[in-house]
Amino acid sequence: MKIVGVAACTVGIAHTYIAQEKLENAGKKAGYEITVETQGTIGTENELTQEQIAEADIVIIAADVKIAGRERFEGKRIIEVPTDVAVKSPNKLIAKAAEVIVQPR
Amino acid sequence: MEVKDIVDINTIRTDMKAKSKEEALKELAEVLLQNEYITDIEVFLKDIYEREAMGETGIGNFIAIPHGNSESVEKIGVAIGITQDEIPWETLDDNGVKGIILFAVGKENDGAQTHLKLLSLFARRLGNDEVIENLLQSKDAAGVKEALCS
Repeated sequence: MKIVGVAACTVGIAHTYIAQEKLENAGKKAGYEITVETQGTIGTENELTQEQIAEADIVIIAADVKIAGRERFEGKRIIEVPTDVAVKSPNKLIAKAAEVIVQPR
Repeated sequence: MEVKDIVDINTIRTDMKAKSKEEALKELAEVLLQNEYITDIEVFLKDIYEREAMGETGIGNFIAIPHGNSESVEKIGVAIGITQDEIPWETLDDNGVKGIILFAVGKENDGAQTHLKLLSLFARRLGNDEVIENLLQSKDAAGVKEALCS
C-alpha cells in the first residue's frame, strides 16, 4: 500500500510535525510506503509530487485547519482526521487506511 | 545549523519544582526570560494560555508541548522541564506529564526561517517514542540535549 498524507495544525509549530513523524513511522512499521507533507508556519515542506499522489492508494489528511491544495486529491480515497488523532493513535489510523482501501467504492 | 543549535542547555531544567501546570509554565517562562528569549512573562503566558484554551497540548507519553505566537518573544527557542512526579495536564492519553517543552515563537517571523525550520525538525523528534523515552530518563541538562539531538 502506498500512502500520502498532509499534516497541518492551528499554530503550525508543533503538532504538524509530530503528526508527520508519527504517521511516517507507523506507516513504515506496517510495511507501507508513506510520505507526509507538512503545512506549517514555515510553509509547505516535503511537498507531495504529482507522481506520489497518482500512485497513492489512499490519502490521510491530519489537519485542524483547511489545507492548501486539496484539489490535488480529487477522486482519491481520503481519510480526514484532526492532528490529535494522528498524534494519539497513528497505528490505528494506518490500520484504518488499510481497511478502507479494500472496501468497494 | 542543526537541531542541537536550537536546544539551549541553559533553558533545560531537570529539577522542576512545579506541582501544577500553572507553576510549570511560570517556572519555564522565567527560564526563558532569564535567558533573554522573551521580554515579558505576563504577555508571553497570556499567549500560551490562549493556545491552551484551544485544545490539549499534552501529546501523550507524559509529554506536553505548550506553545503559541507571542509578541514578547525576542528569539525563537524552547525551554524544557523534566519533573520526577507527574503533573496534571490536559493530555491525549489522559495521563499527566513529566516532560514539558515550552515553545517560544514570535508573531512576526521575518528572517526567522532558519530557526523555524530547526524548530520544526525539533518538534518532529518529539513524535518519536524512543526519543521521548530517553528524554524522560535524562538526569541532567546535557542528558536532555543528548536525548533530543542525537
